Amino acid sequence: MGAERELSSTAIAARAALSGVAREPGASKADPILSASGVRRDFGGITAVDVERVEVQRGSITALIGPNGAGKTTLFNLLTGFDTANSGVWTFDGRSMEKIASHRTAAMGMVRTFQLTKSLTKLSVIENMRLGATDQKGEKWWNGLFSGIWKSQEASNTERADALLERFKLSHMRDEYAGSLSGGQRKLLEMARALMTNPTLVMLDEPMAGVNPALKQSLNEHIRGLRDEGMTVLFVEHDMDMVHDISDWVIVMAEGRVIAEGTPDDISKNPAVIDAYLGAHQGRSLMEEEA
Amino acid sequence: MDWNLVLENSLKGFIGINAVYFAVAALGLNVQFGYTGLLNFGQAGFMACGAYGLGMTSKYFGISMWWGIPLGILFSVALGLLMGIPTLRLRADYLAIVTIASAEIIRLIVRSVKFKTYFGGSDGINGFSDEFRKLGNSFGIEESAQYGFWPFRFTGRELWTLVVGWIVVALLGFLVYKLMKSPWGRVLKAIREDEDAVKSLGKNVFSYKMQSLILGGVIGTISGMIFALDRASVQPDNYSRDVTFYILTALVLGGVAKVSGSIIGPMIFWGLFTFMDNFLRQVAKDPINIGNLTIMNSTQVGQFNYMLIGLTLILLMVYRPQGVFGNRQEMAFDGR
Amino acid sequence: MFLSVLGSLFASMTSTAHAADYALRIQVKELSRDASGKTDNQPVAGVSISVTDANGVVVGAGETDESGVVVIPVPNKADYTITLDESTLPDGESLDPKTPAVQQVVADSFITNTKVISYFTGVSQSASMSGFEKVAQRLVDGVRLGLVLAMCSVGLSLIFGTTGLTNFAHSEMVTFGGLAAFVFNVTGLSFLGFLSFLPGIRDDGTFHIFWAAPIGIAFGAGFGWALNDGIFGRLRRRGIGLVTQMVLTVGLSILLRNFFLSRFEGRTRPFREFTLQEAIEIGPISITPRDLIVSILSLGILVMVALGLRYTRLGKATRAVSDNPDLASATGIDSERVIRLVWIVGGALAAAGGIFRGLDEQISFDMGGRLLFLMFAGITLGGLGSAFGALVGGFVVGVMVEMASLVVPTELKTTPALLVLILVLLFRPQGILGKAQRVG
Repeated sequence: MGAERELSSTAIAARAALSGVAREPGASKADPILSASGVRRDFGGITAVDVERVEVQRGSITALIGPNGAGKTTLFNLLTGFDTANSGVWTFDGRSMEKIASHRTAAMGMVRTFQLTKSLTKLSVIENMRLGATDQKGEKWWNGLFSGIWKSQEASNTERADALLERFKLSHMRDEYAGSLSGGQRKLLEMARALMTNPTLVMLDEPMAGVNPALKQSLNEHIRGLRDEGMTVLFVEHDMDMVHDISDWVIVMAEGRVIAEGTPDDISKNPAVIDAYLGAHQGRSLMEEEA
Repeated sequence: MDWNLVLENSLKGFIGINAVYFAVAALGLNVQFGYTGLLNFGQAGFMACGAYGLGMTSKYFGISMWWGIPLGILFSVALGLLMGIPTLRLRADYLAIVTIASAEIIRLIVRSVKFKTYFGGSDGINGFSDEFRKLGNSFGIEESAQYGFWPFRFTGRELWTLVVGWIVVALLGFLVYKLMKSPWGRVLKAIREDEDAVKSLGKNVFSYKMQSLILGGVIGTISGMIFALDRASVQPDNYSRDVTFYILTALVLGGVAKVSGSIIGPMIFWGLFTFMDNFLRQVAKDPINIGNLTIMNSTQVGQFNYMLIGLTLILLMVYRPQGVFGNRQEMAFDGR
Repeated sequence: MFLSVLGSLFASMTSTAHAADYALRIQVKELSRDASGKTDNQPVAGVSISVTDANGVVVGAGETDESGVVVIPVPNKADYTITLDESTLPDGESLDPKTPAVQQVVADSFITNTKVISYFTGVSQSASMSGFEKVAQRLVDGVRLGLVLAMCSVGLSLIFGTTGLTNFAHSEMVTFGGLAAFVFNVTGLSFLGFLSFLPGIRDDGTFHIFWAAPIGIAFGAGFGWALNDGIFGRLRRRGIGLVTQMVLTVGLSILLRNFFLSRFEGRTRPFREFTLQEAIEIGPISITPRDLIVSILSLGILVMVALGLRYTRLGKATRAVSDNPDLASATGIDSERVIRLVWIVGGALAAAGGIFRGLDEQISFDMGGRLLFLMFAGITLGGLGSAFGALVGGFVVGVMVEMASLVVPTELKTTPALLVLILVLLFRPQGILGKAQRVG
């Protein structure tokens, strides 16, 4: 269990908004930023994802948990356009997203990170950060030649990037190749870079994987910080301490379906969830890795 | 052995027109392969676009040669779209396959009897470059006069293409350098490493890859134009698969993802190649035998040289994939 | 051993002469008989001829004039290769087998400053064929090419499937097989002359094609093994990336092809046996016994490969590794062993394809290179990495290319393969037999 701490006002608001929500799979939220229904993805006969309905409350930190192979990452991939669903509809901020290409979801404010960090190792840390900024004039090739057109925008992006690096305690690595960062620092960099897109929904795929315990606490703080700045966070995680520590709401998946929803306390007492985890540990030896 | 001649030719090879058109083509390939990670194995096809663009102006359209420049660029943009649309959403190998195939088909089409009216068949196209030479004359360069000092002695005709060629190399080198320093170049370099990461940050990866393919192709087209102007002729068989491979070797030799690499690489490539060629030709005047087995006679010198190119590429890939002057940390392809 | 065998292909010597105004005078005549049976040689105009020097550089080209003659100046007395573009012959004409499209001139044969080279043409069968017969004949040709392509492509696709490597030197593995068989069949290895007590082996150490073909295939298998254990296996263990390996195969292709060229020279040459055969007529189609045997043998080999992949333990393991290398190694399959096998079998099949193609079309240093892009089209159509896909895709592309020559000029008959390649990638990038995967 993480240390007891004073809840921020946004946390109180988020939990209050969720308090009346039914503790059942697919429960409707008061103000969903993301809602999906009938999302299905088959891989040659195996159904990886079959989600009847799921909603994410705006301004909350929502955890998506489940045993290996539950389809969490696949669901992430589908919602962000990195994979194509066999069927299903979903909306983000009221806009229909099924046909939206992956790069456009980010531009619309829905940004994700990856389970295996994708730091661009041959670019410097600051270049990684600058890359995250959207609507860059200098990213059009005909403007690229004329630095006058993009210099000032680049400067303000750099300023923002430096502030984020400061916040994520990466400033001292600013001009190093991202390849020289530790695993945990790469996770931080990826998150910071995602924030450069000014997202409203941040989707983190296993932010704690491979992060040393000392960094975990500060990562937790950063994630709370995102909510406190008004962003919505949806994250996949195996570290139950962390899930309990920071999430306002928990969605449990198993075998492609949503099997339970509720507050962290509800979930830790839910027999279906315990079954799903135990069952998963007995039945599977191979096929552990998620697609 | 006439060392004087060997040395003179080698030094001329170092800065000669072959180095020029290879440098331009390598710059284009560098944009695609070095900076963006696109495996374009059909650069010869883009070069053919430029050469035939120039050639067709007089042969087919009957218009001024200078129209060949936009025409060639138009061809190469079309070719880039043809190669890119089916492949740039797929894994990298498909682009390699389609580019190698497209370049081969272009060669077959331009040398075909069927389209001889347009492309001149296997004879190619001659006699379109007068306007280019006249321009040289107007700058006071006499075609047949000798210029320069040992070892760099050129006829006016050679000198004029060389001067224009190196100016083009410098301009394009500067252009690529500026572009790669810009946010646009940053996106390309990021795509080379991990396109999913770039997509997740809201960039249209397909579009950037297409821009890179076409830009590199257009630069390759300009290389084809320089080559055609120098030879004053366009021959279909000068745009074979091997040309792309030799350009790739020259680029890797200099070091990928660096503007300097794509200029120095071809210079070293042609300097060494000319040296080996001249040297071996003198050595192999009498066939070299071991026992009764002929290792090399004068007709095999060329092939031996090309074998050395292949061997060089193999050894570079195994021991120094970053090229002679490259820095392993910045090594571009394969992320290692 | 490989090198010593190929090294025994001697190249002719060249004398270097320095004088001006050398030329090749090339004449093309139609070899026909008039009504009374007398020969009546008519000049053939408008035929494209090109001349390349020993390095393969074009030194001149031209077209025959009204008198069927073209004079092409050459820089000096040296070895040249003269190529007649058969597609420029008048409709219905084809070259007499005695004067193949590609002819060699050696420096010593310049007696004066001008060397005369003659080509003779005759009326080919196809001119007198009906539409149906043409289609049937093309289909038969297509099946032959398709079988060869299928054979060559299996290795290419399986190497890709099991290691992820696109091997641009695979075409040289095809050529290697053809050349290895050629060395045994035509050049001869005199130190093996003592075997002449065996049927089909002669005193000069030349072997009948029935010996030379399996020997060539065995050499191909050995070559595949050598490439894997000597180069690519080591690179994999060192963790060298795939793009680096792919560029390396490009270097390998340059190296091998020029080695073949330096030893074999630019011309095409036939195997010793089966050069000229009377075709037998089966209904509307005519096929020589040689082609029939080659086709049946190819089909037999392909069926064996398919059965082996389907039913043997190693075959199943190969497909498993090709499907999902990580999963396969998790289930205890020794993937390195499978990969070695794939290289060996792939090398053998490529060699077989080269030999059969050589029987079909003669041997040249670049015979594999000409097939490379068709092989790529085949394996893409079938599904990159799928063995059965390579069989089916290669076959389909081969048939399609030959059939295409009914509608497009022969010289452009490979163009539709590019079209297929592009269409497959646009609409079904996983190929006809590949599994749907995430693409983008």
